[in-house]
Amino acid sequence: MDYFAGVDIGSTMTKVVIVGDRIEASLVGPTGPEHRKLANRVMEEALRQARLTFEDLTYIVATGYGRINVPFADRQITEITCHAKGLHSLLPSVKTVVDIGGQDSKGIKIQNGKVMNFVMNDKCAAGTGRFLEIIADSLGVPLEKIGELSLTAERIAAVSSTCTVFAEQEIISRLAGGEPIANLMAGIHDAVATRVYSLVKKLNVEPDIAVTGGGAKNIGLVRALESKFGQKLLVPPEPLITGALGAALMGKDIFERYTSEGQKPTRSGHKLEEATFFK
Amino acid sequence: MAEEKKGRAVATATAAKIPKFVRGNLSATLKAKEEGKKVAAAFIADGQDEIMRAMDIVPAWGESFSGVCAAKRDAEKYLQKAESDNFSRSLCTYATCNIGFDMIREEQGGAMPEGAPWGGMGRPDMILGNGQLLCDPRFKWPQATQHYQRDVPVFVTNMYYPPWDPNVNHHDQEAIYVKYATEELRATVKFCEKITGKKMDWDRLAATVELSDKTWDLFIDTYELRKHIPTPMDTGDAMNTMVPLTFNLGTQEAYDFYVDLKAELEDKIANGVGVADPEKYRVIWAAGLPSWFALGDFQYFNSKGVVFPVEVTYRGCEKVERLDLPKTNDPLEHIAWRWVRYWTHWYDAAKKRPGSTPKVERIIEYIEDYKCDGAVFHSAFSCRSWHAGIMQQAVTLKNVYKDMPILIMEGDIVDISSYNEADTHNRIDAFIETLAAYKKRQG
Amino acid sequence: MTELRDGNGLAAAEKLYTQYGSRARELKASGKKVIGYLTALGPVEIMTAAGVVPIRLKGNVSEAISKGDAYMESIVCPFVRNVFDAAVKGKYDFLDGMVLPHQCDSIDRTNETWSYTLKLPYWHFLNVPHVTDDPSITFMKEILRIFITTLEKFTGTKITDEAIANAVKAHNENRRLMRELYDLRKSNPPLISGVEMMKVLVAAMSLPVDESSALIKAVTEEVKERKPAGDAKGKRIMIIGDQIDDIAVIDAIESTGACLVMDDLSLGAKMYWQDVDATADPVQGIAERYLRKLKIPTTFVGSADTYEGILEERFGHMKKYVNEFKVDGAILFIYKYCDPYGFEVPAIKSYIEAAGVPVLYLEDEYSTSSLARVKTRIEAFLEMIA
Repeated sequence: MDYFAGVDIGSTMTKVVIVGDRIEASLVGPTGPEHRKLANRVMEEALRQARLTFEDLTYIVATGYGRINVPFADRQITEITCHAKGLHSLLPSVKTVVDIGGQDSKGIKIQNGKVMNFVMNDKCAAGTGRFLEIIADSLGVPLEKIGELSLTAERIAAVSSTCTVFAEQEIISRLAGGEPIANLMAGIHDAVATRVYSLVKKLNVEPDIAVTGGGAKNIGLVRALESKFGQKLLVPPEPLITGALGAALMGKDIFERYTSEGQKPTRSGHKLEEATFFK
Repeated sequence: MAEEKKGRAVATATAAKIPKFVRGNLSATLKAKEEGKKVAAAFIADGQDEIMRAMDIVPAWGESFSGVCAAKRDAEKYLQKAESDNFSRSLCTYATCNIGFDMIREEQGGAMPEGAPWGGMGRPDMILGNGQLLCDPRFKWPQATQHYQRDVPVFVTNMYYPPWDPNVNHHDQEAIYVKYATEELRATVKFCEKITGKKMDWDRLAATVELSDKTWDLFIDTYELRKHIPTPMDTGDAMNTMVPLTFNLGTQEAYDFYVDLKAELEDKIANGVGVADPEKYRVIWAAGLPSWFALGDFQYFNSKGVVFPVEVTYRGCEKVERLDLPKTNDPLEHIAWRWVRYWTHWYDAAKKRPGSTPKVERIIEYIEDYKCDGAVFHSAFSCRSWHAGIMQQAVTLKNVYKDMPILIMEGDIVDISSYNEADTHNRIDAFIETLAAYKKRQG
Repeated sequence: MTELRDGNGLAAAEKLYTQYGSRARELKASGKKVIGYLTALGPVEIMTAAGVVPIRLKGNVSEAISKGDAYMESIVCPFVRNVFDAAVKGKYDFLDGMVLPHQCDSIDRTNETWSYTLKLPYWHFLNVPHVTDDPSITFMKEILRIFITTLEKFTGTKITDEAIANAVKAHNENRRLMRELYDLRKSNPPLISGVEMMKVLVAAMSLPVDESSALIKAVTEEVKERKPAGDAKGKRIMIIGDQIDDIAVIDAIESTGACLVMDDLSLGAKMYWQDVDATADPVQGIAERYLRKLKIPTTFVGSADTYEGILEERFGHMKKYVNEFKVDGAILFIYKYCDPYGFEVPAIKSYIEAAGVPVLYLEDEYSTSSLARVKTRIEAFLEMIA
C-alpha cells in the first residue's frame, strides 16, 4: 500500500492529511511563528494517528503559505491547486470554490479537479477571517460564537468602512449608540461576504459553489455568502483540511504518473526532523 | 445631531437650484433620442463645451454622475462591478463608478441599473475624450468603457498648453500650442459632424463662445463678492454653484444662474449676512476635489466659525480681459487662445518669485485678495491628476507664508470606504486650534 | 565599435545591472555630461546627437521608499516614487540634468516636485502628445526642436541635423542588435534565460549607444554558442507591463521551471522593436517613431472602423510576439495606481485570451515586499496551464 501525505502550512493553522486508499489521518494544529519546527511535529502526530512510520510514506507534498519551510516535502504546490483537488474529491459536483482563510480569501474555478481560473485577496484584512477575528476580539465575543450570534439579528446593521481599523471604530461607536450587538455581528458578516463575493465575481461563477477554509466553519458567514450568491452553498465536512487533502492526492497523482512511465519521482532525501538550515 | 442629519445644507438660495441643473443634465441624456439629439459621453473642462452646445449634442457627464452616486453614498455597487472585470480599485473612481454603471446597463440591454440615482444616465452615441495636461483618465476612460459598448465611437483630441518652466518664456511657445489646439478642435468638429450628420453652424458657435466668455466674466465677478468680510458664500456652496459653469457652459441657463447668484450675494452683503456668525477664520481650499459623500464637512467647519471664501477647485475660468486674448474671427482659435492663456496666466507671476510655481501664485493671489488665515488641501487617493504635487505646493506656500496653518486632508472623491467621519472631524478640530494660535500671533 | 572594458558580455551585463549607473558615473568623471530620463519616450537619438550620455533611470525594488515620501504623494505611481526616492537619496548624484517626457500624470504632475527638489543644472519637460494625428506629429516636431535648443544652450554646442541623423543610425543599429539577441529566445528552450535577458536590458539602457551595442553583440556571441539546456517542456511565458527592471519577478517565474521567452515591457520590446525612419528632416522620423510606432497606453490609438480593428491597432503586436516566440501563457504585471495600464487591463486580457493564450493579471507595487504573494499567484497560474 502506498501512502501519501499532504502538509498545508497556513498562516494560522497547519494541517496534515495522510491518504492510502482512504483518509488515514487528518490533523489540524496552530502554526505559530516557527512553522518549520511545527511541520515535523504535526507530521509525527499524524503518523501516530495513522499508525504509520515516516518511511511508510511514498510521496509528500507541501502547500500553503509556509510550503517552502517543509524540508522533508518532495514537492511544493500552491494551495490554489491543492484546494481545488481536495474539494473535488469531497464534492465532485463543485465548479466554484470560495476559500476564506485567516489571512486571505480565494475564488477558484475547477473542472474535473483542475484549476481553470483563480482570484486571490491576500493584501487586505477586510474580506478575510482576520476582519472577523479583530472585531470579535474588540467586542469580547468568542470567535466561535459570532456566526450564531449574527443569525439572531433583527436586521443587518451595515458597516460602511471596509477598512478593518475604521470598521472597528465604527462598530464600537454604534454599539455605544445602542445598536444591538447581534445586528452589528450581522453587519460585519455581511461586510466580509460582500468583499468575498466581489472578489469571486471576477470568475465566471457556476454552481455548485462550495465554501472552504476556516470561514466555512462560521455559519453566519456561510448564510451571508448564500444571500450574496443567491443560492445554497456546499460545505465539506471538515473545511480546514481540503488543502492538505488535495496536496496528498496531488502527490498520489504525481507518483502514479511517474510509475506509469516506469520511473520513480525524486524524493527530498530529508528525514523527518527539524529543519537545520534555518539555525 | 439633528442638523447634521439634514444632509448638505447650502448657504445660498441660488445654490439650492443646483439639483435641478444636475437632474436636468441627466434627464437630457435620457430624453435625447426622442428629441432627435445625439448624446456624447464627455469630460469637463476639455474645451469642447461650445462645440457640443452649438451642435445640440447632449453631454453625458460621467464625472457629474459619479459625483451624484458618491453624494448619495451609492457608488459601491458600481465600483465593485468595475472591479469584477479587473479594473483596479486604485484607479480614478469617477471613471470606475461610471464604467461599472455602464457595464450593468449594457448587460441589462439598456435598462437602467436598479436604484440608479435620478433615473440614471443615457447610453452615449459617441465618447469625446481629451488628452491634456490635466488628467489621464480623460483619454483612457473612453476606450475602457467602449470595451462594453463596442459600437460607440470614441474620439480623443489633445489640448495642450506650455508646461511651466521657470527658465523659459512660455509666450514664445504660445503660437505653436494655439495652432495645435485649434487644429484639434477642428478635428473634433469634423467628428461631431460625422456622428450627428449635421454641419456646424459657425455663427451659432461664435455666439456660443461669446456667451461662454460672458459667463466666465460673470462667474468671476460673482465670486469676487466673496471677498467681503463676512463672506456671503463658502466653498461648501461653491461645490454646487460650480455646476452651471462646469457642466452647462455655453447655455443661457448657466449665465442666468450666475445673474441670480450675484444678486443674492449682493443682497447678503448689503444685509451683513455671512456664512458663519461669527466668522472667526477664513481659509482657502487650496487644491483638491472634495469627498462628494462628505460635503457636510464644510458645515462642520462653518459651525466652528471657519469659512472658505475662496477655492481653487472648480473655479475653472478667469476674467477674459485679464487673459488679453488676441482678436480672431475663428471661434475655435478663440477657444484655443483662451485655453492656452487661462492655463498659463500665473506663469509670469511665478517667474517673479524664485522658487514659486504658478499653482502656488494662484493660491497666494487668492489668500491676499480674500484675506485668508489658512489653507486646506484635499488629497484624493484615486486621483493623481489633481492631487499629485500637493505636498510640493504646500511646501512652496510655506516658504512664502512662514507660519500659516496648512492642513492636508486625505480621502477620496467617490470611494467612501476610505472615509472616517470621527477621524476627519478630529483633524479639522486640531487645524482650527492652529488657526486660532496663528491669528493670535498676528495680533 | 567600442571595446568593452569588462570582458565578455554576460559578466559585464551582470556588473552593470548590479551597480546600476556605474558606467555613467565613470563617464561623468571623465568629463561627459550625463542626462537622466524616464520612460521609453526619452528621445535618446537627440541626446546622443547632443553628445551627452543618456541614462534611463530606474529605482530599486528591494529598497523601501523613505526619504521621497517627504516630498511626493504615496498615490503617485510606485515606480516613479521609487526612482524619485533613489534620486533624493543621492543614487543619481552624477546627473547633470534630467528630461521628463510627458508620459502620464504621475510624471507630469510631479515635474515640479522632481525639479525643485533635485535642483539639477539642466531640466526639461518634454511635452509629448497623447494622440497621433497629423497635427500631433507637427507639434511633436516642434517640441523636439525646443528640446534640441535647450540642449544646445546647455552643452554650448550646435546640434546639427547631420548629428541627429547619425545618432538615428546608431540607435537603429542598437535596436537591430537587441532584436537579434531576442531571436535566441525563440528556440525551445531559449538559449538565454529571462533573468539573464533582464540584466542585459537593464545594463543596455544605462550605456551610451555604442557601448550598449558592443555589450549586446558580445552577449549574442556568447549565448549563440550555447547548447540548449533546461526543460524543453517548461511553459513559455511572456510578461507585459511598463518598467519591470529587476530579476525578482522574472526569477519567480523561472524558478518553477517555466521560461520567460518574450516581453512587452517599456525597457524591452517597446524600446527595441521599432526603428526610426531616415527622413529628410531627421526630427520627422523621430517624431513618427515615438508617437506612432511605439505602442504605449499613454498614446491613444483608435482610428480603425470596428472595435476589433481598434484592438488590433492597440495590441496586435502582442499577438505577433505570441506567435513568433511560441508563448504558452502571458503575465500582465501592472503597478498599482497606474491609470494608463489599469484602464486597459480588461481589453488586453480579453484580447490575448481570445488568441488562445491564458493570462495572469497581477497588480503589485514596485517592490519585492510582496514577492511571496506574487510568487504564489505565478506558481498557481503555471500549475493551472501545465
